[in-house]
Amino acid sequence: MSKQVIFNLAVKDVEKSKAFFSSLGFTFNPQFSNERAAMMIIEEGSIQAMLTSEDFFQSLTGKPVAQAKEANEIVICLTCDSREEVASLVEKAVAAGGRTPHPLEDEGFMVSQGFEDLDGHLWNLVWMNPASRTSQASQ
Amino acid sequence: MNKQIFVNLPVKDLDKSKAFFEALGYGFNPQFSNDSGACMVIAEGSIYAMLLTEPFFKTFIDKPIVQAKEATEVLVCLSCESREEVDDLVARAVAAGGHTPRAAQDHGFMYAHAFEDLDGHIWELVWMAPQA
Repeated sequence: MSKQVIFNLAVKDVEKSKAFFSSLGFTFNPQFSNERAAMMIIEEGSIQAMLTSEDFFQSLTGKPVAQAKEANEIVICLTCDSREEVASLVEKAVAAGGRTPHPLEDEGFMVSQGFEDLDGHLWNLVWMNPASRTSQASQ
Repeated sequence: MNKQIFVNLPVKDLDKSKAFFEALGYGFNPQFSNDSGACMVIAEGSIYAMLLTEPFFKTFIDKPIVQAKEATEVLVCLSCESREEVDDLVARAVAAGGHTPRAAQDHGFMYAHAFEDLDGHIWELVWMAPQA
């Protein structure tokens, strides 16, 4: 069986966060969702995110919940199929109440832009140009 | 094309973190690694972690870095093939200098345990019973 990853991220309002990511085109698995957490499908069978209410999240970690609008522990980077997909997702995120901390970066072999969701979690979207290859470390 | 994910996490000492995850059995992609970051392969072609030095990580955010030993923004949960794999990874993590925040949880259909890495990032390991 292939490895799956699930990112648990704390959110202040599960319903608002579901609406935010739904407007970006992501769907949810109702089987693994309730009022305290919603499972968002990023890539069926391999990559999921659990949007988890802060109270529930805290019960899982034993440490304070980092307020992601003030400081970050993680940058989640997702590959996209095209430059247009990167731009379109960022545009939808901003329209739905997110923000973008950086302008789009075009390095030729790679196009990237990030957005912050409603809780300050940072998502970076990257399109790697298949026409070029690099040995640079990139994220 | 399938979506791929790169989990970018800040680390205080890249070499020590690489050694830690190597002790757990993970390999690195040298093509995407240098002095500022190391690309750890979790599932080839799909899931990677980028261990980034704090100064390099900082260039991707416009906020301070969370000190993960003190507060948590994310739990990275990985599926395992068996209960034994869950236990083995946690044992290796503890032997390599990590620690486990709690005892294993056995729900019958699901077996879960977790470890904190050298920087305090929490990794959850879960085995789910194949659906009948």
